Amino acid sequence: MHRGFGLARGGLRQYVETFVDMSKKVFVEYSRYPIAFIALFVQIFLIILLFIFSAFAFSSGEPGDPRVTTFAGMMAYGFVTNIFLSFTLWEVGFSIREEQVRGTLESLYLSPTNKFSNLLSRIFMILSWTTIMCAAGLGLVSVVMGGLPASNVGMGLLILVFTISGFLGLGFLFAGITIRLKETAQILVSFFQFFFMIFSAQFFPFSVLPQPVLDYISRWLPVSYAVDLFRTTLLGIPPELMPGNYWLEFLIVALFGIVSPVLGYFGYRAVERKARSAGTLGEY
Amino acid sequence: MAGETVARGLGLARPGPRTSLGIIWTVFLARLRIILRYKGAILGESLLPVVFAGLPILLGIAVAGDEQTAAENFFRTTAGAGQGASDFRLYMLLGSNTFMVVSLMLWLIGYWVRREQETGTLEALYLAPAKRLHVLAGVTSYTLVRALIAFVSAMVIGSIVFQVNPLAGNFPAALGYLILGIPALWGISFIFGALILRIKEANSVIQLLQWVLAFAMGVYFPVTVFPALVRYAAMAFPPTLMNDAMRSTLLGLTSIYGPWYIVLGLMLMAAWTVPLLGYEFFLAVERRIKKDQGVGQF
Repeated sequence: MHRGFGLARGGLRQYVETFVDMSKKVFVEYSRYPIAFIALFVQIFLIILLFIFSAFAFSSGEPGDPRVTTFAGMMAYGFVTNIFLSFTLWEVGFSIREEQVRGTLESLYLSPTNKFSNLLSRIFMILSWTTIMCAAGLGLVSVVMGGLPASNVGMGLLILVFTISGFLGLGFLFAGITIRLKETAQILVSFFQFFFMIFSAQFFPFSVLPQPVLDYISRWLPVSYAVDLFRTTLLGIPPELMPGNYWLEFLIVALFGIVSPVLGYFGYRAVERKARSAGTLGEY
Repeated sequence: MAGETVARGLGLARPGPRTSLGIIWTVFLARLRIILRYKGAILGESLLPVVFAGLPILLGIAVAGDEQTAAENFFRTTAGAGQGASDFRLYMLLGSNTFMVVSLMLWLIGYWVRREQETGTLEALYLAPAKRLHVLAGVTSYTLVRALIAFVSAMVIGSIVFQVNPLAGNFPAALGYLILGIPALWGISFIFGALILRIKEANSVIQLLQWVLAFAMGVYFPVTVFPALVRYAAMAFPPTLMNDAMRSTLLGLTSIYGPWYIVLGLMLMAAWTVPLLGYEFFLAVERRIKKDQGVGQF
Protein backbone atom coordinates (compact mmCIF):
# COMPACT_ATOMS: atom_id res chain seq x y z
CA MET A 1 0.00 0.00 0.00
CA HIS A 2 1.44 3.37 -0.92
CA ARG A 3 -0.11 6.67 0.28
CA GLY A 4 -3.65 5.49 -0.21
CA PHE A 5 -3.07 4.47 -3.80
CA GLY A 6 -3.65 0.77 -3.29
CA LEU A 7 -1.10 -1.34 -5.10
CA ALA A 8 0.14 1.56 -7.24
CA ARG A 9 3.60 2.83 -6.45
CA GLY A 10 4.20 6.51 -7.00
CA GLY A 11 7.61 7.49 -8.26
CA LEU A 12 9.33 9.21 -11.13
CA ARG A 13 8.51 6.37 -13.50
CA GLN A 14 4.86 6.46 -12.57
CA TYR A 15 4.82 10.27 -12.93
CA VAL A 16 6.35 10.07 -16.39
CA GLU A 17 4.06 7.25 -17.46
CA THR A 18 1.02 9.15 -16.21
CA PHE A 19 2.17 12.19 -18.14
CA VAL A 20 2.75 10.19 -21.33
CA ASP A 21 -0.53 8.27 -21.05
CA MET A 22 -2.60 11.36 -20.30
CA SER A 23 -0.89 13.30 -23.07
CA LYS A 24 -1.84 10.43 -25.38
CA LYS A 25 -5.42 10.71 -24.13
CA VAL A 26 -5.42 14.47 -24.90
CA PHE A 27 -3.93 13.72 -28.32
CA VAL A 28 -6.58 11.10 -29.07
CA GLU A 29 -9.29 13.54 -27.95
CA TYR A 30 -7.91 16.26 -30.21
CA SER A 31 -7.46 13.88 -33.12
CA ARG A 32 -11.22 13.25 -32.99
CA TYR A 33 -11.73 16.92 -33.81
CA PRO A 34 -9.41 17.64 -36.74
CA ILE A 35 -11.17 20.89 -37.61
CA ALA A 36 -9.88 22.32 -34.32
CA PHE A 37 -6.30 21.95 -35.54
CA ILE A 38 -6.99 23.67 -38.84
CA ALA A 39 -9.08 26.33 -37.10
CA LEU A 40 -6.22 27.10 -34.75
CA PHE A 41 -3.82 27.79 -37.58
CA VAL A 42 -6.26 29.91 -39.59
CA GLN A 43 -7.22 31.77 -36.42
CA ILE A 44 -3.61 32.67 -35.59
CA PHE A 45 -3.04 33.91 -39.11
CA LEU A 46 -6.30 35.90 -39.20
CA ILE A 47 -5.77 37.66 -35.87
CA ILE A 48 -2.26 38.80 -36.75
CA LEU A 49 -3.44 39.90 -40.18
CA LEU A 50 -6.46 41.76 -38.80
CA PHE A 51 -4.28 43.89 -36.56
CA ILE A 52 -1.68 44.42 -39.25
CA PHE A 53 -4.43 45.67 -41.59
CA SER A 54 -5.54 48.00 -38.80
CA ALA A 55 -1.98 49.25 -38.39
CA PHE A 56 -1.84 49.94 -42.13
CA ALA A 57 -4.97 52.09 -41.82
CA PHE A 58 -3.07 54.37 -39.42
CA SER A 59 0.25 54.38 -41.25
CA SER A 60 1.64 57.25 -43.30
CA GLY A 61 0.82 55.34 -46.47
CA GLU A 62 4.41 55.45 -47.70
CA PRO A 63 5.55 52.06 -49.01
CA GLY A 64 8.00 50.27 -46.69
CA ASP A 65 7.28 52.53 -43.71
CA PRO A 66 9.79 51.23 -41.09
CA ARG A 67 7.40 52.05 -38.24
CA VAL A 68 4.80 49.69 -39.68
CA THR A 69 7.37 46.89 -40.01
CA THR A 70 8.52 47.33 -36.39
CA PHE A 71 4.95 47.47 -35.11
CA ALA A 72 3.98 44.47 -37.20
CA GLY A 73 6.87 42.60 -35.56
CA MET A 74 5.82 43.79 -32.09
CA MET A 75 2.26 42.71 -32.75
CA ALA A 76 3.14 39.38 -34.28
CA TYR A 77 5.63 38.39 -31.54
CA GLY A 78 3.40 39.84 -28.83
CA PHE A 79 0.62 37.75 -30.25
CA VAL A 80 2.73 34.61 -29.87
CA THR A 81 2.96 35.27 -26.12
CA ASN A 82 -0.76 36.04 -26.06
CA ILE A 83 -1.73 32.79 -27.70
CA PHE A 84 0.48 30.75 -25.36
CA LEU A 85 -0.99 32.53 -22.34
CA SER A 86 -4.55 32.09 -23.58
CA PHE A 87 -4.11 28.40 -24.30
CA THR A 88 -2.43 27.78 -20.96
CA LEU A 89 -5.21 29.50 -19.06
CA TRP A 90 -7.98 27.84 -21.05
CA GLU A 91 -6.57 24.39 -21.56
CA VAL A 92 -5.29 23.77 -18.05
CA GLY A 93 -7.99 25.69 -16.19
CA PHE A 94 -10.92 24.90 -18.34
CA SER A 95 -10.19 21.25 -19.01
CA ILE A 96 -10.69 20.71 -15.28
CA ARG A 97 -14.12 22.28 -15.70
CA GLU A 98 -14.87 19.94 -18.57
CA GLU A 99 -13.98 16.97 -16.40
CA GLN A 100 -16.36 18.34 -13.77
CA VAL A 101 -19.20 18.72 -16.28
CA ARG A 102 -18.62 15.27 -17.75
CA GLY A 103 -18.46 13.83 -14.26
CA THR A 104 -15.00 12.30 -14.70
CA LEU A 105 -13.01 14.54 -12.35
CA GLU A 106 -13.77 12.58 -9.20
CA SER A 107 -12.98 9.28 -10.91
CA LEU A 108 -9.67 10.72 -12.00
CA TYR A 109 -8.89 11.67 -8.44
CA LEU A 110 -9.68 8.18 -7.26
CA SER A 111 -7.14 6.75 -9.69
CA PRO A 112 -3.48 6.57 -8.61
CA THR A 113 -2.39 9.25 -11.05
CA ASN A 114 0.10 11.92 -10.15
CA LYS A 115 -1.72 15.26 -10.01
CA PHE A 116 1.15 17.27 -11.45
CA SER A 117 1.52 14.94 -14.43
CA ASN A 118 -2.23 15.13 -14.85
CA LEU A 119 -2.19 18.93 -15.00
CA LEU A 120 0.88 19.14 -17.23
CA SER A 121 -0.43 16.58 -19.71
CA ARG A 122 -3.49 18.76 -20.35
CA ILE A 123 -1.37 21.44 -21.93
CA PHE A 124 1.59 19.57 -23.40
CA MET A 125 0.03 18.50 -26.69
CA ILE A 126 -1.75 21.77 -27.34
CA LEU A 127 1.43 23.75 -26.60
CA SER A 128 3.42 21.60 -28.97
CA TRP A 129 0.83 22.09 -31.66
CA THR A 130 0.58 25.84 -30.95
CA THR A 131 4.35 26.18 -31.32
CA ILE A 132 4.21 24.65 -34.80
CA MET A 133 1.17 26.74 -35.73
CA CYS A 134 2.75 29.95 -34.44
CA ALA A 135 5.89 29.32 -36.46
CA ALA A 136 3.81 28.66 -39.58
CA GLY A 137 1.55 31.68 -38.88
CA LEU A 138 4.55 33.97 -38.39
CA GLY A 139 6.09 32.63 -41.60
CA LEU A 140 2.92 33.38 -43.51
CA VAL A 141 2.62 36.87 -42.03
CA SER A 142 6.27 37.45 -42.85
CA VAL A 143 5.55 36.58 -46.48
CA VAL A 144 2.55 38.93 -46.55
CA MET A 145 4.53 41.74 -44.90
CA GLY A 146 7.61 41.23 -47.02
CA GLY A 147 9.69 40.01 -44.05
CA LEU A 148 9.46 40.28 -40.27
CA PRO A 149 12.61 41.19 -38.31
CA ALA A 150 14.06 38.13 -36.55
CA SER A 151 17.31 38.65 -34.64
CA ASN A 152 18.74 36.59 -31.74
CA VAL A 153 16.42 33.65 -32.44
CA GLY A 154 18.19 31.34 -29.95
CA MET A 155 17.88 33.85 -27.11
CA GLY A 156 14.31 34.57 -28.11
CA LEU A 157 13.45 30.86 -27.85
CA LEU A 158 15.09 30.59 -24.43
CA ILE A 159 13.01 33.53 -23.23
CA LEU A 160 9.93 31.88 -24.72
CA VAL A 161 10.64 28.69 -22.75
CA PHE A 162 10.82 30.67 -19.47
CA THR A 163 7.72 32.60 -20.51
CA ILE A 164 5.68 29.46 -21.19
CA SER A 165 6.90 27.91 -17.95
CA GLY A 166 5.74 31.05 -16.10
CA PHE A 167 2.37 30.87 -17.85
CA LEU A 168 2.02 27.25 -16.73
CA GLY A 169 2.08 28.48 -13.14
CA LEU A 170 -0.79 30.83 -13.92
CA GLY A 171 -2.59 27.94 -15.63
CA PHE A 172 -2.21 25.69 -12.55
CA LEU A 173 -3.55 28.46 -10.35
CA PHE A 174 -6.53 28.91 -12.64
CA ALA A 175 -7.19 25.19 -12.55
CA GLY A 176 -7.59 25.57 -8.78
CA ILE A 177 -9.76 28.64 -9.20
CA THR A 178 -11.93 26.69 -11.66
CA ILE A 179 -12.55 23.99 -9.05
CA ARG A 180 -13.63 26.67 -6.63
CA LEU A 181 -15.56 29.06 -8.87
CA LYS A 182 -16.92 26.54 -11.39
CA GLU A 183 -18.70 28.25 -14.32
CA THR A 184 -17.73 31.76 -13.18
CA ALA A 185 -14.08 30.84 -13.68
CA GLN A 186 -14.72 31.17 -17.40
CA ILE A 187 -15.38 34.88 -16.94
CA LEU A 188 -12.31 35.24 -14.79
CA VAL A 189 -10.12 33.53 -17.36
CA SER A 190 -11.51 35.81 -20.09
CA PHE A 191 -10.97 38.81 -17.85
CA PHE A 192 -7.33 37.94 -17.16
CA GLN A 193 -6.74 37.12 -20.78
CA PHE A 194 -7.77 40.65 -21.70
CA PHE A 195 -6.13 42.14 -18.63
CA PHE A 196 -2.75 40.83 -19.73
CA MET A 197 -3.49 41.70 -23.34
CA ILE A 198 -3.87 45.36 -22.38
CA PHE A 199 -1.60 45.84 -19.36
CA SER A 200 1.19 43.60 -20.60
CA ALA A 201 0.89 45.32 -24.00
CA GLN A 202 0.76 42.10 -25.99
CA PHE A 203 -0.47 43.78 -29.17
CA PHE A 204 1.27 47.14 -29.01
CA PRO A 205 4.41 48.73 -27.58
CA PHE A 206 4.47 49.74 -23.90
CA SER A 207 5.12 53.32 -24.98
CA VAL A 208 1.45 53.59 -25.97
CA LEU A 209 0.22 53.01 -22.43
CA PRO A 210 -0.35 56.08 -20.25
CA GLN A 211 2.54 56.61 -17.82
CA PRO A 212 0.52 55.88 -14.62
CA VAL A 213 -0.77 52.61 -16.12
CA LEU A 214 2.77 51.67 -17.11
CA ASP A 215 4.27 52.55 -13.72
CA TYR A 216 1.55 51.29 -11.40
CA ILE A 217 0.27 48.24 -13.26
CA SER A 218 2.41 47.00 -16.18
CA ARG A 219 5.77 47.21 -14.40
CA TRP A 220 4.41 45.06 -11.55
CA LEU A 221 3.43 42.20 -13.83
CA PRO A 222 6.13 39.60 -14.60
CA VAL A 223 4.16 38.77 -17.77
CA SER A 224 4.95 42.30 -19.05
CA TYR A 225 8.70 41.64 -18.78
CA ALA A 226 8.31 38.30 -20.54
CA VAL A 227 6.40 39.89 -23.42
CA ASP A 228 8.77 42.84 -23.65
CA LEU A 229 11.95 40.80 -23.56
CA PHE A 230 10.75 38.17 -26.03
CA ARG A 231 9.73 40.58 -28.75
CA THR A 232 12.48 43.17 -28.35
CA THR A 233 15.07 40.37 -28.42
CA LEU A 234 13.64 39.09 -31.70
CA LEU A 235 13.34 42.62 -33.09
CA GLY A 236 16.94 43.38 -32.06
CA ILE A 237 16.02 46.52 -30.12
CA PRO A 238 16.54 47.41 -26.41
CA PRO A 239 13.71 46.32 -24.07
CA GLU A 240 11.13 48.98 -23.37
CA LEU A 241 10.64 48.35 -19.65
CA MET A 242 14.35 48.30 -18.71
CA PRO A 243 16.15 49.79 -21.70
CA GLY A 244 19.49 50.01 -19.93
CA ASN A 245 19.40 46.68 -18.12
CA TYR A 246 18.73 43.76 -20.43
CA TRP A 247 20.12 41.11 -18.07
CA LEU A 248 18.09 42.27 -15.08
CA GLU A 249 14.97 41.95 -17.20
CA PHE A 250 16.17 38.50 -18.28
CA LEU A 251 16.61 37.56 -14.60
CA ILE A 252 13.02 38.62 -13.86
CA VAL A 253 11.74 36.49 -16.74
CA ALA A 254 13.89 33.51 -15.69
CA LEU A 255 12.65 33.76 -12.09
CA PHE A 256 9.09 34.02 -13.37
CA GLY A 257 9.62 30.84 -15.36
CA ILE A 258 11.03 28.97 -12.35
CA VAL A 259 8.97 30.28 -9.43
CA SER A 260 5.55 30.64 -11.06
CA PRO A 261 4.89 26.90 -11.77
CA VAL A 262 5.92 25.99 -8.22
CA LEU A 263 3.65 28.61 -6.63
CA GLY A 264 0.84 27.88 -9.09
CA TYR A 265 0.96 24.18 -8.35
CA PHE A 266 0.93 24.72 -4.57
CA GLY A 267 -2.03 27.07 -5.02
CA TYR A 268 -3.83 24.40 -7.04
CA ARG A 269 -3.16 21.70 -4.46
CA ALA A 270 -4.41 23.93 -1.64
CA VAL A 271 -7.74 24.59 -3.41
CA GLU A 272 -8.03 20.97 -4.47
CA ARG A 273 -7.46 19.67 -0.92
CA LYS A 274 -10.13 22.03 0.38
CA ALA A 275 -12.58 20.91 -2.30
CA ARG A 276 -11.88 17.24 -1.55
CA SER A 277 -12.37 17.66 2.19
CA ALA A 278 -15.59 19.61 1.55
CA GLY A 279 -16.70 16.97 -0.96
CA THR A 280 -17.27 19.56 -3.70
CA LEU A 281 -14.68 18.37 -6.20
CA GLY A 282 -17.16 16.79 -8.56
CA GLU A 283 -19.85 19.43 -8.09
CA TYR A 284 -20.59 21.73 -10.95
CA MET B 1 -57.71 5.98 -34.21
CA ALA B 2 -54.03 6.38 -33.52
CA GLY B 3 -53.72 8.79 -36.42
CA GLU B 4 -56.45 10.97 -34.93
CA THR B 5 -54.70 11.25 -31.62
CA VAL B 6 -51.30 12.04 -33.04
CA ALA B 7 -50.86 15.71 -33.91
CA ARG B 8 -47.95 16.21 -36.33
CA GLY B 9 -45.60 13.87 -34.54
CA LEU B 10 -46.22 15.47 -31.18
CA GLY B 11 -48.14 12.57 -29.68
CA LEU B 12 -51.20 13.57 -27.72
CA ALA B 13 -50.07 17.15 -27.35
CA ARG B 14 -51.94 19.70 -29.48
CA PRO B 15 -49.97 22.92 -29.41
CA GLY B 16 -52.09 25.98 -30.08
CA PRO B 17 -50.83 29.59 -30.32
CA ARG B 18 -50.91 29.96 -26.54
CA THR B 19 -48.85 26.80 -26.05
CA SER B 20 -46.40 27.89 -28.72
CA LEU B 21 -45.91 31.24 -27.05
CA GLY B 22 -45.59 29.40 -23.76
CA ILE B 23 -42.75 27.29 -25.16
CA ILE B 24 -40.90 30.37 -26.45
CA TRP B 25 -41.39 32.14 -23.11
CA THR B 26 -40.33 29.10 -21.05
CA VAL B 27 -37.16 28.55 -23.06
CA PHE B 28 -36.38 32.28 -22.94
CA LEU B 29 -36.93 32.40 -19.18
CA ALA B 30 -34.90 29.26 -18.56
CA ARG B 31 -31.90 30.64 -20.46
CA LEU B 32 -32.24 34.00 -18.74
CA ARG B 33 -32.37 32.39 -15.30
CA ILE B 34 -29.23 30.42 -16.03
CA ILE B 35 -27.25 33.45 -17.16
CA LEU B 36 -28.48 35.56 -14.25
CA ARG B 37 -26.54 33.18 -12.02
CA TYR B 38 -23.38 34.35 -13.78
CA LYS B 39 -23.53 38.12 -13.60
CA GLY B 40 -19.85 38.31 -14.37
CA ALA B 41 -20.60 37.04 -17.87
CA ILE B 42 -22.88 39.99 -18.56
CA LEU B 43 -20.26 42.39 -17.23
CA GLY B 44 -17.59 40.75 -19.36
CA GLU B 45 -19.68 41.11 -22.51
CA SER B 46 -20.07 44.81 -21.80
CA LEU B 47 -16.36 45.33 -21.34
CA LEU B 48 -15.10 43.14 -24.14
CA PRO B 49 -16.07 45.44 -27.05
CA VAL B 50 -14.33 48.32 -25.26
CA VAL B 51 -11.15 46.23 -25.11
CA PHE B 52 -11.58 45.22 -28.77
CA ALA B 53 -11.94 48.86 -29.73
CA GLY B 54 -9.08 49.92 -27.48
CA LEU B 55 -6.54 47.64 -29.14
CA PRO B 56 -6.59 49.19 -32.64
CA ILE B 57 -6.92 52.68 -31.14
CA LEU B 58 -3.75 52.25 -29.08
CA LEU B 59 -2.06 50.48 -31.96
CA GLY B 60 -3.05 53.23 -34.41
CA ILE B 61 -1.70 55.97 -32.17
CA ALA B 62 1.54 54.02 -31.75
CA VAL B 63 1.95 53.52 -35.49
CA ALA B 64 1.13 57.12 -36.37
CA GLY B 65 3.18 58.66 -33.55
CA ASP B 66 0.46 60.80 -32.02
CA GLU B 67 -3.30 61.04 -31.90
CA GLN B 68 -3.66 63.88 -34.40
CA THR B 69 -1.54 62.12 -37.01
CA ALA B 70 -3.45 58.89 -36.32
CA ALA B 71 -6.75 60.68 -37.03
CA GLU B 72 -5.36 62.26 -40.22
CA ASN B 73 -3.91 58.98 -41.48
CA PHE B 74 -7.08 57.05 -40.71
CA PHE B 75 -9.18 59.69 -42.46
CA ARG B 76 -6.95 59.49 -45.52
CA THR B 77 -7.08 55.66 -45.59
CA THR B 78 -10.86 55.48 -45.19
CA ALA B 79 -11.37 58.32 -47.69
CA GLY B 80 -9.34 56.30 -50.17
CA ALA B 81 -11.76 53.44 -49.54
CA GLY B 82 -14.75 55.69 -50.28
CA GLN B 83 -15.67 56.84 -46.77
CA GLY B 84 -13.45 59.27 -44.84
CA ALA B 85 -14.00 58.77 -41.13
CA SER B 86 -12.72 61.62 -39.01
CA ASP B 87 -13.54 60.10 -35.62
CA PHE B 88 -11.56 56.87 -35.56
CA ARG B 89 -12.39 56.19 -31.90
CA LEU B 90 -16.13 56.08 -32.53
CA TYR B 91 -15.51 54.14 -35.76
CA MET B 92 -13.68 51.42 -33.82
CA LEU B 93 -16.14 51.43 -30.93
CA LEU B 94 -19.13 51.01 -33.23
CA GLY B 95 -17.39 48.32 -35.21
CA SER B 96 -16.42 46.29 -32.16
CA ASN B 97 -19.86 46.74 -30.55
CA THR B 98 -21.65 45.49 -33.65
CA PHE B 99 -19.13 42.68 -33.88
CA MET B 100 -19.95 41.75 -30.29
CA VAL B 101 -23.68 41.58 -31.08
CA VAL B 102 -23.08 39.32 -34.10
CA SER B 103 -20.52 37.22 -32.28
CA LEU B 104 -22.75 36.77 -29.23
CA MET B 105 -25.68 35.64 -31.33
CA LEU B 106 -23.54 32.96 -32.94
CA TRP B 107 -21.75 31.96 -29.73
CA LEU B 108 -24.92 31.56 -27.76
CA ILE B 109 -26.75 29.49 -30.36
CA GLY B 110 -23.68 27.38 -31.06
CA TYR B 111 -22.99 26.79 -27.41
CA TRP B 112 -26.61 26.08 -26.66
CA VAL B 113 -26.64 23.24 -29.21
CA ARG B 114 -23.28 21.95 -28.02
CA ARG B 115 -24.11 22.13 -24.32
CA GLU B 116 -27.40 20.30 -24.86
CA GLN B 117 -25.45 17.63 -26.76
CA GLU B 118 -22.82 17.29 -24.06
CA THR B 119 -25.23 17.18 -21.16
CA GLY B 120 -27.33 14.66 -23.04
CA THR B 121 -30.50 16.74 -23.07
CA LEU B 122 -30.73 17.45 -26.80
CA GLU B 123 -32.40 14.16 -27.61
CA ALA B 124 -34.80 14.64 -24.71
CA LEU B 125 -35.67 18.04 -26.14
CA TYR B 126 -36.48 16.39 -29.46
CA LEU B 127 -38.82 13.99 -27.70
CA ALA B 128 -40.70 16.77 -25.92
CA PRO B 129 -44.03 17.86 -27.44
CA ALA B 130 -42.58 21.17 -28.63
CA LYS B 131 -41.79 22.33 -32.13
CA ARG B 132 -38.17 23.03 -32.88
CA LEU B 133 -39.02 26.45 -34.27
CA HIS B 134 -40.50 27.54 -30.96
CA VAL B 135 -37.57 26.25 -28.96
CA LEU B 136 -35.18 28.01 -31.34
CA ALA B 137 -37.28 31.18 -31.15
CA GLY B 138 -36.97 31.09 -27.37
CA VAL B 139 -33.20 30.67 -27.51
CA THR B 140 -32.73 33.34 -30.18
CA SER B 141 -34.94 35.80 -28.25
CA TYR B 142 -32.71 35.26 -25.25
CA THR B 143 -29.57 35.79 -27.33
CA LEU B 144 -31.09 38.98 -28.72
CA VAL B 145 -31.80 40.40 -25.27
CA ARG B 146 -28.34 39.47 -24.07
CA ALA B 147 -26.69 40.96 -27.17
CA LEU B 148 -28.67 44.20 -26.90
CA ILE B 149 -27.78 44.59 -23.22
CA ALA B 150 -24.12 44.11 -24.14
CA PHE B 151 -24.41 46.58 -27.02
CA VAL B 152 -26.01 49.38 -25.03
CA SER B 153 -23.80 49.00 -21.96
CA ALA B 154 -20.62 48.69 -24.06
CA MET B 155 -21.66 51.81 -25.95
CA VAL B 156 -22.08 53.74 -22.70
CA ILE B 157 -18.81 52.47 -21.18
CA GLY B 158 -16.92 52.94 -24.47
CA SER B 159 -18.22 56.47 -24.91
CA ILE B 160 -16.93 57.39 -21.46
CA VAL B 161 -13.57 55.63 -21.88
CA PHE B 162 -12.86 56.97 -25.39
CA GLN B 163 -14.62 60.31 -24.84
CA VAL B 164 -16.85 60.06 -27.88
CA ASN B 165 -20.47 61.04 -28.33
CA PRO B 166 -22.49 58.44 -30.24
CA LEU B 167 -25.62 60.58 -29.88
CA ALA B 168 -24.14 63.26 -32.13
CA GLY B 169 -25.24 61.27 -35.18
CA ASN B 170 -28.65 59.80 -35.95
CA PHE B 171 -28.75 57.34 -33.05
CA PRO B 172 -32.42 56.22 -33.38
CA ALA B 173 -31.85 55.41 -37.07
CA ALA B 174 -28.70 53.45 -36.21
CA LEU B 175 -30.59 51.53 -33.53
CA GLY B 176 -33.33 50.89 -36.11
CA TYR B 177 -30.75 49.40 -38.46
CA LEU B 178 -29.46 47.24 -35.62
CA ILE B 179 -32.95 45.89 -34.91
CA LEU B 180 -33.61 45.42 -38.62
CA GLY B 181 -30.39 43.45 -38.87
CA ILE B 182 -31.39 41.02 -36.12
CA PRO B 183 -33.64 38.67 -38.21
CA ALA B 184 -30.76 38.11 -40.62
CA LEU B 185 -28.55 37.32 -37.65
CA TRP B 186 -31.13 34.82 -36.48
CA GLY B 187 -30.94 33.18 -39.88
CA ILE B 188 -27.15 32.99 -39.69
CA SER B 189 -27.45 31.63 -36.14
CA PHE B 190 -29.68 28.81 -37.41
CA ILE B 191 -27.08 27.95 -40.05
CA PHE B 192 -24.40 28.10 -37.41
CA GLY B 193 -26.41 25.92 -35.02
CA ALA B 194 -26.86 23.38 -37.80
CA LEU B 195 -23.11 23.39 -38.44
CA ILE B 196 -22.40 22.73 -34.77
CA LEU B 197 -24.98 19.95 -34.82
CA ARG B 198 -23.20 18.41 -37.77
CA ILE B 199 -19.51 18.92 -37.10
CA LYS B 200 -19.75 19.18 -33.31
CA GLU B 201 -16.51 21.08 -32.73
CA ALA B 202 -18.24 24.16 -31.36
CA ASN B 203 -15.24 25.78 -29.65
CA SER B 204 -12.88 25.80 -32.57
CA VAL B 205 -15.52 26.64 -35.16
CA ILE B 206 -16.84 29.53 -33.09
CA GLN B 207 -13.37 30.86 -32.37
CA LEU B 208 -12.38 30.65 -35.99
CA LEU B 209 -15.58 32.13 -37.34
CA GLN B 210 -15.31 34.95 -34.85
CA TRP B 211 -12.16 36.20 -36.53
CA VAL B 212 -13.46 35.51 -40.02
CA LEU B 213 -16.45 37.62 -39.00
CA ALA B 214 -14.24 40.41 -37.70
CA PHE B 215 -12.46 40.40 -41.04
CA ALA B 216 -15.56 40.17 -43.20
CA MET B 217 -17.52 42.77 -41.24
CA GLY B 218 -14.87 45.44 -41.52
CA VAL B 219 -14.72 45.91 -37.77
CA TYR B 220 -11.58 48.06 -37.86
CA PHE B 221 -11.51 49.25 -41.47
CA PRO B 222 -13.90 49.44 -44.44
CA VAL B 223 -14.13 46.20 -46.41
CA THR B 224 -13.50 48.19 -49.59
CA VAL B 225 -9.77 47.91 -48.85
CA PHE B 226 -9.95 44.23 -49.79
CA PRO B 227 -9.33 42.88 -53.30
CA ALA B 228 -12.50 42.76 -55.47
CA LEU B 229 -13.47 39.12 -54.87
CA VAL B 230 -13.02 39.25 -51.08
CA ARG B 231 -14.75 42.65 -51.01
CA TYR B 232 -17.89 41.38 -52.77
CA ALA B 233 -17.99 38.28 -50.60
CA ALA B 234 -17.69 40.45 -47.48
CA MET B 235 -20.34 42.88 -48.73
CA ALA B 236 -22.79 40.03 -49.38
CA PHE B 237 -22.53 39.04 -45.74
CA PRO B 238 -25.52 40.50 -43.79
CA PRO B 239 -23.53 41.53 -40.66
CA THR B 240 -21.27 43.66 -42.89
CA LEU B 241 -24.36 45.41 -44.20
CA MET B 242 -25.65 46.00 -40.69
CA ASN B 243 -22.30 47.26 -39.48
CA ASP B 244 -21.92 49.62 -42.41
CA ALA B 245 -25.51 50.89 -42.14
CA MET B 246 -25.09 51.71 -38.46
CA ARG B 247 -21.66 53.22 -38.87
CA SER B 248 -22.55 55.39 -41.85
CA THR B 249 -25.70 56.62 -40.06
CA LEU B 250 -23.97 57.50 -36.82
CA LEU B 251 -20.76 58.91 -38.27
CA GLY B 252 -22.36 60.62 -41.26
CA LEU B 253 -20.30 58.58 -43.75
CA THR B 254 -21.17 57.47 -47.26
CA SER B 255 -22.31 53.85 -47.11
CA ILE B 256 -20.26 51.46 -49.21
CA TYR B 257 -23.56 50.08 -50.52
CA GLY B 258 -24.88 53.41 -51.87
CA PRO B 259 -27.66 55.82 -50.82
CA TRP B 260 -29.75 55.16 -47.69
CA TYR B 261 -32.75 53.70 -49.57
CA ILE B 262 -30.56 51.02 -51.14
CA VAL B 263 -29.13 50.20 -47.71
CA LEU B 264 -32.65 50.04 -46.27
CA GLY B 265 -33.88 47.89 -49.16
CA LEU B 266 -30.96 45.48 -48.78
CA MET B 267 -31.53 45.25 -45.05
CA LEU B 268 -35.24 44.50 -45.52
CA MET B 269 -34.40 41.86 -48.08
CA ALA B 270 -31.86 40.26 -45.73
CA ALA B 271 -34.31 40.42 -42.81
CA TRP B 272 -36.89 38.55 -44.92
CA THR B 273 -34.82 35.93 -46.73
CA VAL B 274 -31.92 34.99 -44.43
CA PRO B 275 -34.04 33.65 -41.50
CA LEU B 276 -36.10 31.52 -43.88
CA LEU B 277 -33.02 30.16 -45.59
CA GLY B 278 -31.32 29.63 -42.24
CA TYR B 279 -34.23 27.72 -40.77
CA GLU B 280 -34.59 25.57 -43.87
CA PHE B 281 -30.89 24.78 -43.70
CA PHE B 282 -31.20 23.86 -40.03
CA LEU B 283 -34.11 21.51 -40.77
CA ALA B 284 -32.29 19.89 -43.69
CA VAL B 285 -29.17 19.22 -41.59
CA GLU B 286 -31.27 18.02 -38.69
CA ARG B 287 -33.20 15.57 -40.91
CA ARG B 288 -29.96 14.14 -42.22
CA ILE B 289 -28.47 13.74 -38.76
CA LYS B 290 -31.61 12.06 -37.46
CA LYS B 291 -31.41 9.60 -40.34
CA ASP B 292 -27.73 8.86 -39.62
CA GLN B 293 -26.54 8.69 -36.04
CA GLY B 294 -29.16 10.79 -34.24
CA VAL B 295 -28.79 14.18 -32.60
CA GLY B 296 -27.50 12.98 -29.27
CA GLN B 297 -24.07 11.83 -30.40
CA PHE B 298 -21.17 14.14 -29.62
